Amino acid sequence: MKATDRAAAGRSYVLLMLLAVLFAGPFLWLVLAALKTLVEWVAVPIHFLPEAPQWNNFTDAVTQINFLAYTGNSLFLSGMYAVLVTLSSALVGFGFARLKGRGKRPLFVVLLATMMLPSILTLIPTYVLFSRVGLVGTYWPWVLWGLAASPYLVFLFRQFFAAIPRDLEDAAIIDGCGYGRIFWRIFLPLSRPVVLTSLLLSFTWMWGDYLAPALLLDIDHTTLSVAITQSYRNPHGDYIPTVQAAAAALYVVPVMVIFLFAQRYFVRSVATSGLKG
Amino acid sequence: MAGVVLQKAPARDRPADPLPSSSRRWSRYSGRTFYLFVSPWVVGFLLLTAVPLGYAFAMSLTNFDGSSSLWRWVGFDNYVELLQDSDAWASLARTVAYTAIVVPLSVAFSLGLAVLLNRRLRAVGLFRTIFFLPSVVPVVATAIMWKLVFNRDSGLVNAILERFGVGAVTWLVDPAAFYALIILTLWGLGTGMIIMLAALQGVPVELEEAAVVDGASRWRVFRHVTVPMISPVIFFQVVTGVITSFQVLVQPMLLAETNSIGAMKDVPTSTHLYMVQVYQEYFANQRFGYGSAMLWVFFVIILVITLLVQRSSRLWVYYEVDRESD
Repeated sequence: MKATDRAAAGRSYVLLMLLAVLFAGPFLWLVLAALKTLVEWVAVPIHFLPEAPQWNNFTDAVTQINFLAYTGNSLFLSGMYAVLVTLSSALVGFGFARLKGRGKRPLFVVLLATMMLPSILTLIPTYVLFSRVGLVGTYWPWVLWGLAASPYLVFLFRQFFAAIPRDLEDAAIIDGCGYGRIFWRIFLPLSRPVVLTSLLLSFTWMWGDYLAPALLLDIDHTTLSVAITQSYRNPHGDYIPTVQAAAAALYVVPVMVIFLFAQRYFVRSVATSGLKG
Repeated sequence: MAGVVLQKAPARDRPADPLPSSSRRWSRYSGRTFYLFVSPWVVGFLLLTAVPLGYAFAMSLTNFDGSSSLWRWVGFDNYVELLQDSDAWASLARTVAYTAIVVPLSVAFSLGLAVLLNRRLRAVGLFRTIFFLPSVVPVVATAIMWKLVFNRDSGLVNAILERFGVGAVTWLVDPAAFYALIILTLWGLGTGMIIMLAALQGVPVELEEAAVVDGASRWRVFRHVTVPMISPVIFFQVVTGVITSFQVLVQPMLLAETNSIGAMKDVPTSTHLYMVQVYQEYFANQRFGYGSAMLWVFFVIILVITLLVQRSSRLWVYYEVDRESD
């Protein structure tokens, strides 16, 4: 029995290793490309490893475009959106979890349905509308999206708040607290893990978003995601793959760091929403 | 809400009001507060979802070109034209094919990975991280990575194929681009895997152990105990997977080295999916009315799929208990 168990474990490890190589391969190739000279990149037969790491690809990546300014734009948009959407979603989640009102149930059904609604469906018409009222080329759309709450995050908050025992708010009500104070003083501090999850998730969404900034912002005010897809070309207009790879590697660093340090928050949010389908 | 009225009416006849007036005031306050709390989402939904959808429908009844004021109402002409538009139909067919391949594969693979990770092995957390990571990588970086990996002369895939004596494949043009897109999509199945893993961990161990004691093989336990137990989750994964793959746009666009927004002509035919076609009608052909009609057809398709799957789910999904209400 023991021996077969060990053999089974061994087979699992071989399979896991193989799969790990498959999943990590693209990351590895990106980093290797970012460290090669252009000559090494196009060499036949393929050079797997660079002769010497070409760190100047990274300096080229941050100097050929105004990398810092684009990073600033991305940080500003993502950070602002994350704070706003976390607050608004927490409010709405609290409403659905702890308060009663007519039409609450149908409203919640609509909320769940909009979780399924692809955002791309509304993005283009929203763009047309925004261009009519002069919001294209400004950061106001992100303020509005932030204030409007995200159904996904509302759901996350609602699940958390619904599980908190009633005694807590009853005691606060007897002490003369209104729901505003109950939310702000009791429920929001209690939900710190969900707040953190929401901040991290929404930040990475916006950091990674491509279509909305590409549609709504001009090249000077756009985000890093758009800038790195449209820059790094030689005078003939062809991409310089090694420099673009370096830029892409720098661009994913914040997401990687957030993910590696806060993986359990990502896991929990995904598991909560996925299991309630 | 008739129930509320019915309950309250007899209360008025009784000598003593069962609800002290302060408590009634409180419940009225609570009701108003509910709307106050949910108003960000309600207003946001109306302004940023309902209004744009309605606006798109209005546009779909015009020949609006995105800028000029010389548009007019054309009724359902755009929809009639769409019925005979072979490019649109072809892009829809491609999208259906893409979905039909990607959804079963990603559901099966994410379940398989979850089963592997659910075993009590050492360093399982490390592997979970490696498999989960791609799904949080921004789409722009994903596309750049895979363009490097699929590069004809300098790519990793062709380098490996060459070792096995396979000649260089031009991955990013027709017909291979379709498969490149599928591989890129499958690479990001980490989210699904985490959901499956959570579902597997929710299956009571006693159930599986009881089946083992009864002499069931591992496969039979998996097939007849584990899978039925997690079938609601699998079902949910299928539905969200279908909806996600129907809206794919950015990946084909970025894989194709499209230089600017609107220049959709570089997207290979095999990855010219429905949303790519919509995008092209809007921004390359300046046909905002027609593009809006295509968006609305897409919206209706998504609605119908969701409803159909929801209706049929009762036939093949096993719910352990009634789903909690509210």
